[in-house]
Amino acid sequence: MSPEVFVQQALNGISFGALLFILAAGLSLIFGMMDVVNLAHGAFYMLGAYVTLAIVQRTGQFYLALFVAPAVVGLLGLILEPLLLRRLRGRHLDQVLLTIGVSLVIADLLGLTFGREIHSIPLPAGLDRSTQIFGGDYPVYRLFVIGFSIALAGALAVIHRRTRLGALIRAGVDDAQMLDALGVDIDRLFSRTFALGAALAGLAGVIAAPVFGIFPGMDVDALIYSLIVVVVGGLGTLSGAVAGAGLVGPADTFGRVLFPQFALALIFAIMALVLLLRPTGLLGRVRIAR
Amino acid sequence: MFAGLALAVAALLVTFPAWTAEWESSRYATTILRDMLVLAILALSLDLLVGVAGMPSLGHAAFFGAGAYAAAIAAQRLGSDELLVGLVAAVAVAAVLALVIGLFAVRAAGIFFLMLTLAFAQMVFAVAFQAADLTGGSNGLAGVHRPTFAGIDFNGPEALYQLVAVVFLGVVLISWRIRSSTYGHALAGLRENERRMRALGYDTMRLKLSAFVVAGAMAGIGGALSAYALRFVSTNDVGIGRSIEAFVSVLIGGTGTLIGPVIGAAVVLYIERVLPSSIPFAETVLGLVFVIFVVAARQGIVGLARESYARVRR
Repeated sequence: MSPEVFVQQALNGISFGALLFILAAGLSLIFGMMDVVNLAHGAFYMLGAYVTLAIVQRTGQFYLALFVAPAVVGLLGLILEPLLLRRLRGRHLDQVLLTIGVSLVIADLLGLTFGREIHSIPLPAGLDRSTQIFGGDYPVYRLFVIGFSIALAGALAVIHRRTRLGALIRAGVDDAQMLDALGVDIDRLFSRTFALGAALAGLAGVIAAPVFGIFPGMDVDALIYSLIVVVVGGLGTLSGAVAGAGLVGPADTFGRVLFPQFALALIFAIMALVLLLRPTGLLGRVRIAR
Repeated sequence: MFAGLALAVAALLVTFPAWTAEWESSRYATTILRDMLVLAILALSLDLLVGVAGMPSLGHAAFFGAGAYAAAIAAQRLGSDELLVGLVAAVAVAAVLALVIGLFAVRAAGIFFLMLTLAFAQMVFAVAFQAADLTGGSNGLAGVHRPTFAGIDFNGPEALYQLVAVVFLGVVLISWRIRSSTYGHALAGLRENERRMRALGYDTMRLKLSAFVVAGAMAGIGGALSAYALRFVSTNDVGIGRSIEAFVSVLIGGTGTLIGPVIGAAVVLYIERVLPSSIPFAETVLGLVFVIFVVAARQGIVGLARESYARVRR
């Protein structure tokens, strides 16, 4: 592999990891707070991408979708949590199962509305160029994804550590019952956390849409990748999502280049290895395996 | 009396094509019932994990698909239409795969077990998709030969239906024997209180792994029958959709019972195969039905029936 190709693939890997971070952060956030592995996370991602498709088809404005799509998906989360999940509080397995049903409905309705074929949207204006990096052309959009993801991680870290909402979330992750006893409106906090996590999935859908396309089945791909990221990185912490995405993204990309036949097996092998050596994931706070 | 009733139902099931021959839609009904029974085998095997041992696997299609591919490939590559060859291949491949995945997956419990089984099954899906030389990749394997056994040719639709029905009854019988055995009670102990089982001296990891392998092998039988019935195997058979179908069947039928997963499989197959001819959003209906059962009737159809029976008797 020549140095130019290596740099290009490394950037590809990092930008894929950056996308995975946005995707997995929401899953990890919801889990940390509510002990729910939201299996509708992939469907939320898919919804974000299809809202982007609708907006770009109507208005041609990708940047509008960057705000509207997460808002739409977040709003759906804000409705679904009190409507369905709250009834099952404390029954974690049932909450997880419920999200399977929700994802079936979302994916089917999207397929009905938009048709079951593969859609694509152009790269957004201003980011549809290439730039020279180490003597090779490299698409600017992928650099944008990396920058955006770093900025988002920074913003989330600031919210997490410096704001009142962050303090509430940290407290809720530690001991939600105690927080409730202290007079915090836990119901509101939970539905907002769920909405925020859903919005992050929607945001990942927007960011991914111009690169990976918009198609039925994208929800499953996203769900599996985000599950692997959180298992590898560790559930319930922001740094875990960063670590998992930072490892899985480049590993997957280089795996595809170096041994295309076994690319998918590679990231599963990493997952199995991490589980054997560190049952909490790299930086997690919960034991996933014994 | 119970045994007599069970025999009568079994006889009616196997002879279904004969006594419905007069019906206008006998052919169609037989096909639908055949596929219901195949899904019911998968659901019964999954319920051994979900309902008996308390291990919520969302990757059970991996073993169903492994069985389907094994039976199809055995028929193609070995040039043998012998039923036993296909079934043994299916069971062996599914069991070995379950052993390998189980070694990792059973180390986790509850929702983590669910996550890991889902992820590992997706790896099997990916392998089936990429190993096109063996599996046909995205095209699948078409024209799977239907088997023969002791001079009986199962090529015709009726004969094949009867094969499926008989194997289904065998699986029901095995499931019943497992559940009422000491081993089955030990598995139920895992579900009720794993820590106590450990304290009692059971090696719970090995117990879980054995359940995972047995359930995987049973799913493999279902897969082989599916390959023979549809004469087609594709990545759909190992995909997450099939895993969800099985899980939904178990849950809406009623976990931990023999009849529940069978009823559930019938309902799911009806929604997926019969309903789409009248409404286009069958998958949405399936999702909504599932949500309603999770939220409002976690004990499934069997639980609802028991409740209303108790109410009538009072």
